[in-house]
Amino acid sequence: MTVLLFAALTLRELMRRRLAAAVGFVTLAIVAFTAWGFHRLTVATVGGVTLPEPALRATAAGIVILLAFLFSFVLAIGAALIGAPALGESLANGEILAVLARPIRRAELLAGRWLGTLVALVLFAAVAGGAELLVVRAITGYVPPHPLGALAYLAGAAAVVTTAAIALATRLPVIAAGAVAALLFGLAWIGGIVETIGLALNNDRLADAGTLVALAFPSDALWRGALYDLQPAVFSALAATMSPSAAAGGVNPFSAAAPPPAALLAWTAGWVLVVFGAALASFRTRDL
Amino acid sequence: MSAVDAIVAQGLAKRYGRVDALHDLSLRVAPGECVGFLGPNGAGKSTAVKLLLGLVRPTRGTATLFGEPIGDRHTRRAAGYLPELFRYPDWLSAREVLAFHARLIRLGNAGRAIGAVLDEVGLGARGDERVGTYSKGMQQRLGIAVALLGEPRIVFLDEPTSALDPVGRGEVRALLARLRERGTTVFLNSHLLGEVERVCDRVCVLDRGRVVAEGSLDGLLGAARGVRVRLDDGWHDYDVAAEAIPDLIARLVAEGARIHAVEPRTATLEERFLALVRPG
Repeated sequence: MTVLLFAALTLRELMRRRLAAAVGFVTLAIVAFTAWGFHRLTVATVGGVTLPEPALRATAAGIVILLAFLFSFVLAIGAALIGAPALGESLANGEILAVLARPIRRAELLAGRWLGTLVALVLFAAVAGGAELLVVRAITGYVPPHPLGALAYLAGAAAVVTTAAIALATRLPVIAAGAVAALLFGLAWIGGIVETIGLALNNDRLADAGTLVALAFPSDALWRGALYDLQPAVFSALAATMSPSAAAGGVNPFSAAAPPPAALLAWTAGWVLVVFGAALASFRTRDL
Repeated sequence: MSAVDAIVAQGLAKRYGRVDALHDLSLRVAPGECVGFLGPNGAGKSTAVKLLLGLVRPTRGTATLFGEPIGDRHTRRAAGYLPELFRYPDWLSAREVLAFHARLIRLGNAGRAIGAVLDEVGLGARGDERVGTYSKGMQQRLGIAVALLGEPRIVFLDEPTSALDPVGRGEVRALLARLRERGTTVFLNSHLLGEVERVCDRVCVLDRGRVVAEGSLDGLLGAARGVRVRLDDGWHDYDVAAEAIPDLIARLVAEGARIHAVEPRTATLEERFLALVRPG
């Protein structure tokens, strides 16, 4: 199947170009560093005594959320930086000419590149995120309520970004496509904060503006989902009592009172499909 | 329109914004023919090839390859293509690049076919090296191998010798001759006039997107117009009809001239080309 051929080529390229090795090495270093940090936390003393277990776990939970937040940015920027060149580089340097002169559909190439990128991102999210959570569990004993769900949400946000990056790369230069996709992710995050502030202050205009951004680029909803799955139940309950509109999301970007509603998840899935369809239409009609 | 023609183009045109990249190309190429597309840079040669391969959509006009409409992916099964800006993944070996293309065209017995095309372009011994380590000339040879993989019925070669040294150019000319013997249709884009003159049956000259001359090489260059004779003091041109040449030579000998060489006086492709594409 031609789609799988291009997906495999994309993954092979990431391996051969040493990106996988480089990212793996850096991830290992980060996990090792955080492991050391968590270990220091277990032996740290306050007034001559170590932290009691509940306090240790609550602290670990907070740090995990902070790490997940940074990880979501790394994943999103990676999605933009891998997604855009997956298609755009071969368009820019002419590699694609001899390939598309073969009896294949352009859609097969695009879908294969998208799939390969997505598989790479999901693997990275699973391996790097999973390794970090296992380290936290081994050292502090803390296990988030839904670790797999959280990783799935983070990978979903990366899928949103990489779909946008590939769609943009059908028309824009690689660097522009990657940069715009990464910026849109940042904009969505800011949109989420604006929405939260709007809800907290009962300011409909602010809340609506934030909602509009969240619908236009739905990565922030997925971050909220990851957050909800990572935080202990007590954090969620606290967020719900502090939020004037708990169901909508909480009062700050580091806590979530509720998981994203099913309708928003369905919207996100539809958004990916529509943007992917737009990418296909754009690529199919592009002169090479 | 004949279904067996390798290429039939009718009024094919491509416009980018306000620029006519190709204007009203009508062309018929028989199977097994070697056609040279000539023209200065920007004349529309590469655009014509890209149109025929469905890489670019025509603004107007239609065309077929072996009776199948261009733009249809099945049509491309008949074609091999070396782009002008040839580029292949530098992290793969030449053999891997060819294996990838073999899978795209679902080529059976790919290993043997890959070995054969690598040998054909002179890369047999270096097929397992990464493309990134290749010289530009070697990459162009790989591009030709990719174009020849699967023995396509028509091969589009866009400037196939631009990165090659004189030895390499000679090898490509020999390769083109072999393709002709096999009955492969060759569509050769080039601005190297000597190359086209040596290998092509027919020539199409483009200038600023328009076909300015098209036909057989003999027809394009015209019949011999007299002879050039080399005497002791150098070359002399004599504008005489073909039947008068023996009398001319006899007269020169009778007058005591020492004749070293006699050759027909025809326009070279270069002279004809320059007359066609020069402004005014």
